[in-house]
Amino acid sequence: MTVATPRQRTLPKQADPTAPLLVVEDLKTYFTLDSGTVKAVDGVSFRLDHGEALGIAGESGCGKTTTALSLVRILPSNANIVGGSVRLMGIDLVPKSEKALRRYRWREISIVFQGAMNALNPVQRVRDQIAEPIEERLGVSVADARKRAGELLELVGIPKARGAGYPHELSGGMRQRAMIAMALACDPAIVIGDEPTTALDVMVQAQILKLLEDLRAKLGLSLILITHDLSVIAETCDRVMVMYAGRVAEEGPVSEVFTRPRHPYTQKLLAAFPNIHADRRTLEVIPGSPPDLRDPPPGCRFAPRCAFAMDVCSVEVPPDVNFGNVRVACHLFPAGGEGGGVVP
Amino acid sequence: MSVTPATARPPGVWALRFASMTSFLGRLIRRPEGFVGVAIIVFFAVLAIAPALFVGPLETVTSASGKRLEPPSSTHLLGTDNLGRDVLNLTVHGARISMLIGFLATIVTLVIGAVLGIVSGFVGGRTDTVIMRITDFFLVLPTFVLALIIAPIVLDIIGTGEILGIRTTLFVIVIVIGITSWATTARIIRSQTMSVKERAFIDRARVIGSGPWRMMRVHILPNVTGLIVANAVLIFAGAILTETTLAFIGLGDPFAPSWGQILGASQDAGAPGLGAWWWYVPPGICIVLVVLAFTLIGGALDDLLNPKARRRR
Repeated sequence: MTVATPRQRTLPKQADPTAPLLVVEDLKTYFTLDSGTVKAVDGVSFRLDHGEALGIAGESGCGKTTTALSLVRILPSNANIVGGSVRLMGIDLVPKSEKALRRYRWREISIVFQGAMNALNPVQRVRDQIAEPIEERLGVSVADARKRAGELLELVGIPKARGAGYPHELSGGMRQRAMIAMALACDPAIVIGDEPTTALDVMVQAQILKLLEDLRAKLGLSLILITHDLSVIAETCDRVMVMYAGRVAEEGPVSEVFTRPRHPYTQKLLAAFPNIHADRRTLEVIPGSPPDLRDPPPGCRFAPRCAFAMDVCSVEVPPDVNFGNVRVACHLFPAGGEGGGVVP
Repeated sequence: MSVTPATARPPGVWALRFASMTSFLGRLIRRPEGFVGVAIIVFFAVLAIAPALFVGPLETVTSASGKRLEPPSSTHLLGTDNLGRDVLNLTVHGARISMLIGFLATIVTLVIGAVLGIVSGFVGGRTDTVIMRITDFFLVLPTFVLALIIAPIVLDIIGTGEILGIRTTLFVIVIVIGITSWATTARIIRSQTMSVKERAFIDRARVIGSGPWRMMRVHILPNVTGLIVANAVLIFAGAILTETTLAFIGLGDPFAPSWGQILGASQDAGAPGLGAWWWYVPPGICIVLVVLAFTLIGGALDDLLNPKARRRR
């Protein structure tokens, strides 16, 4: 089977093999509503290397999904990327036309959608749905595409014969596996998992995460995992990016960020998560609610809810400060102070 | 059912489809109204397919088998018309014309309605607005008046003659019914399309890179097929009624008698005044039966597909 061998893909023509896989800089995606402009993603930067898994964490509405969907621009019609760049192997995808972008969608960056039942067509055979991108994007014949779809199903642990069934004939876990098979159809460089385990029970969730990890090792994929479940990130990702109200609060290696959170929001987020070893019975709560993104507070967006807020916080946007591999945007750490900040 | 869903190896596509179709048909005819409806349609369908088998070839003025206006007797079970033709013969042959026109008109209606409905609902925006304004135009215009105006125009365009052995006048009626009754279908299909369009698998198809036509064909159409079929039942009944009306007032084809044609002829000859009830009652009953049958099937389908509606009653 070809899938187990290292990736032998045809790179896009303009690709620069020496460039990092994905570099996102100052990405801004705004939604236009009747009542104003919602700055859902407002200056997000990150980088993803070959074979790496990046987790994007944050509460509902903080722009996790919008960030990921902006990469290949699968946004609702009222959303627009107003600034920044998305460089995939050195190619900026933001100025690309809808038509030019089709080369990158699914072939380079594919998505495992949340809610597999809705993302599968109820009246089309599962196998044919997996074969669809292979036919459409790679110009493979229908018969060959179906054969490949069968292989992909086996790869994600579904007997080939089940591919002849309709989505309602599969269990929730199998449907999610089928979605993963579909995401792998064109052998992409990056797979985005948009809450891939949210609607599943814990056992199935663990199986799906295990599968994603195995596939990543086997196929050399890079993974972007969007979730509000920090344990999922802790288990599967190399690095984590914590977002708050459309901006990056803190970003760094999972081991570093989870053991030594620097940003007050990360600290609160981790404290709000049940810890099996602690004897604390009550979970910590972050007072207040996220800001209205039509009119976000000036300065740090977390300032109104932050216990450590200073005068400067509500005036100036905190600059990114680096601590080794970790990047934090908080006024508690004076810029340029390598590790010199006051860790509260 | 002989086909169990839990077999190790899934049976072929067509076997599965056939099994689900027969099981659905089974459930339909297990309802009394469904059974009566299907029985009537099957009866007329058989008559329509091979009328000559039951009553011999269509009688014309030259081949009329009786004297004029004979009342029902053992030789002429339903009597004869003013030209001496056997009314039973005419009525059975009329079934062929009426059912054929109903069938073709339904197809034309559904094709126009479904295509416009899906395109309108899927593309949206200005296209949607334009198509829906045209639909509204056809919706508010009384079907019959529109048909009266269009029929001679269409006849003038395609002319008289024969296409595939069928006289063009029949096609005129088919086209006229199609043009005048697609608007409702388009509206219904459009609303369903708009709902299906918002499902996540359409987004997925878009990301995969499917073009709009493929998305409409592969993802939208199969998801609105149920609605199209349910709509077909009602369209068929309506088409037969419209055909009858058009034929009755003389827009039919005099050489291919449909039920409406027979009714019209009897009226022209003053059959009611002459007491020749056997001339106009049989085709009238046939029309009532067919329309009733479709209405019964429609009701049974509604109960079957939408159990909530039944409980509400």
